[in-house]
Amino acid sequence: MIQNDRLRDIFAKALLARSFEARLIKLTAEGFLPPLLHPGAGQEVAQIAALSAVERDDPVLYSHRGVAYMIARGTSLSAMIADMAGRAGGTNNGKGGIMHVVDLPNGIYGESGTLGGGLVVSVGMGMALRRRSPGRVVVHFFGDGASNRGTFHEALNWAAVQKLPCIYICENNGWAVSVPTSVSTAVENIADRAAGYGIPGVVVDGADPDAVMAAVANAARRARAGEGPSLIEIKATRLLGHYAADPQDYRADAGSVAQRDPLAALRRRVIELGLLDEAEIEAMAAAHEAEIDHAVEAVKAAPPLDSDQAFTDLYA
Amino acid sequence: MRTISYGQAINEALAEEMDRDGDVILYGLDVAAWGGIFNITKGLLERFGPERVFDSPISESVMVGAGVGAAIMGLRPVVELQYADFILVAGDEIFLKAGMWRYMHGGAFKVPLVVRLPSGATGAGPEHSTCPEAYVMHSPGLLCAVPSTAADAKALLKQAIRLDNPVMFFEHRRLYQKRDEVPEGDVTLPFGKGVIRREGRHVTVVAWQYMLSRALKAAELLEQEGIEVEIFDPRTLSPFDSGTLIESVKKTGACLVVEEGYRRLGVGAEIGAILMEQAFGYLDRPFRRLAIPDVPVASVKPLVDRVLPSVEAICDVCRELAA
Repeated sequence: MIQNDRLRDIFAKALLARSFEARLIKLTAEGFLPPLLHPGAGQEVAQIAALSAVERDDPVLYSHRGVAYMIARGTSLSAMIADMAGRAGGTNNGKGGIMHVVDLPNGIYGESGTLGGGLVVSVGMGMALRRRSPGRVVVHFFGDGASNRGTFHEALNWAAVQKLPCIYICENNGWAVSVPTSVSTAVENIADRAAGYGIPGVVVDGADPDAVMAAVANAARRARAGEGPSLIEIKATRLLGHYAADPQDYRADAGSVAQRDPLAALRRRVIELGLLDEAEIEAMAAAHEAEIDHAVEAVKAAPPLDSDQAFTDLYA
Repeated sequence: MRTISYGQAINEALAEEMDRDGDVILYGLDVAAWGGIFNITKGLLERFGPERVFDSPISESVMVGAGVGAAIMGLRPVVELQYADFILVAGDEIFLKAGMWRYMHGGAFKVPLVVRLPSGATGAGPEHSTCPEAYVMHSPGLLCAVPSTAADAKALLKQAIRLDNPVMFFEHRRLYQKRDEVPEGDVTLPFGKGVIRREGRHVTVVAWQYMLSRALKAAELLEQEGIEVEIFDPRTLSPFDSGTLIESVKKTGACLVVEEGYRRLGVGAEIGAILMEQAFGYLDRPFRRLAIPDVPVASVKPLVDRVLPSVEAICDVCRELAA
């Protein structure tokens, strides 16, 4: 069981991530931001629970879906908006937008634009950690869609052979853009593939932060002890479309999926446990909105990026 | 001065850089226990141990992708891909990850990665016979070295390992046994600075690696006819030393590029475009190219020989340009 203060923290961060993302979608609809966000709504609780099971300086390669990974690590909200808006004060000087937020002091090491492209990068990060910073682990998030890249096989095989300190977290939300796993994937569970690499593979419910944290904590213990990588599959819920304006015509459950929202479940639970009451949650949400307002105002006041930035940052 | 082979020079560069910097690691298929299928990494496992010199599975994506990951975390990986053609197997990792990870993350990372790429149209089959430098030269974020002598191979590899940017390091397989004078000790060469291998006043020939040896032979033959060929070896293609080339063209007024890659959109096409844009007024004759004529390189010798630019073909074009 997660300690109460930890559970309250996961809820608070997930609530902030949900509100922040909703604001990004609103600012996109208003034309202030480009339509490049791939919403993570529904997957925040598991993402944040997973990251609360490792240390803050354990490097993370995140998946493209949402901003909760960065919220979990404390990345500046205004920096993320600036990345998306093309204003000064972002993390990647306009090069990567919201998809390639980077925040090394908080262990945010970026994202591969080609899905599954980070899997192989994480292997080398594991090699470097073992040689230079023994005891640390690299956490790599990716989706069920990316698990069908050849990079999944190459990365997990070599990480397993070398017993590298890597934690592979597959967020299986059942959809690769518009293609369901029933069409794309021969196995029921992505985690079943772990047997092919001789590593542990576990399935956890993405609405159960206790289970997610326990699985990641166990994988981290193994990795830090030199016992090699693990594959954790989170059964996740994608509440929204592949991108914010995705009409999701292909999706029969588009109208009902909100009933499976892990954040709503966690809200009920923290209330049942007496960790927060409705009024406290409303106050928390209001504080989040004020924090977001402040970040948006800061970005709107910031100058646009100099277009000369197109020519910087290529070579060291 | 002592002479050693091109292959030994690469081995020395690896050993010296691994000795100098504990963050340099070396891996690839067959590089450890066997010492490389071309014997280039022999003795390095014994000297530096299995934590720094190790074999990989046949997994080119993770070989290069892990190189990027290790590099952004502070190591200096040297990866051997065994055949340069395999840059296309690891295309995502070379062109998108090595080339762009730093850029798309706003310069947060350095990517001090070297990928060693044995190349050459040697009759090893169409997928083991290309000189794919043009793909690399085309792509932002990557550096490209094409050493032609043992001394250059050693000095450019030592420099490549020390650079904080990803380097595609082409080693021509027909040069591995070629012996040259190589100075002892710590000598490096800068990237982006080519060399005039032979001076002449009638035609400038740009060539590197195996084609350089053919160009030099052609120049000797043409000298007997009174045609003086100037030969420019660029040493690196990214960055490309257009300044030295243009100075040569100012003198000769004519330029031929001889390359072992495909002709269409090849390195020669780019060099021709550079001359059109920056040196048009100095050209007295049309720019010319000799390259693989846009077919794959086959497996058997007569077919390979048919498509490789020959000494005779180089002589013929130079005669036309000098006429």
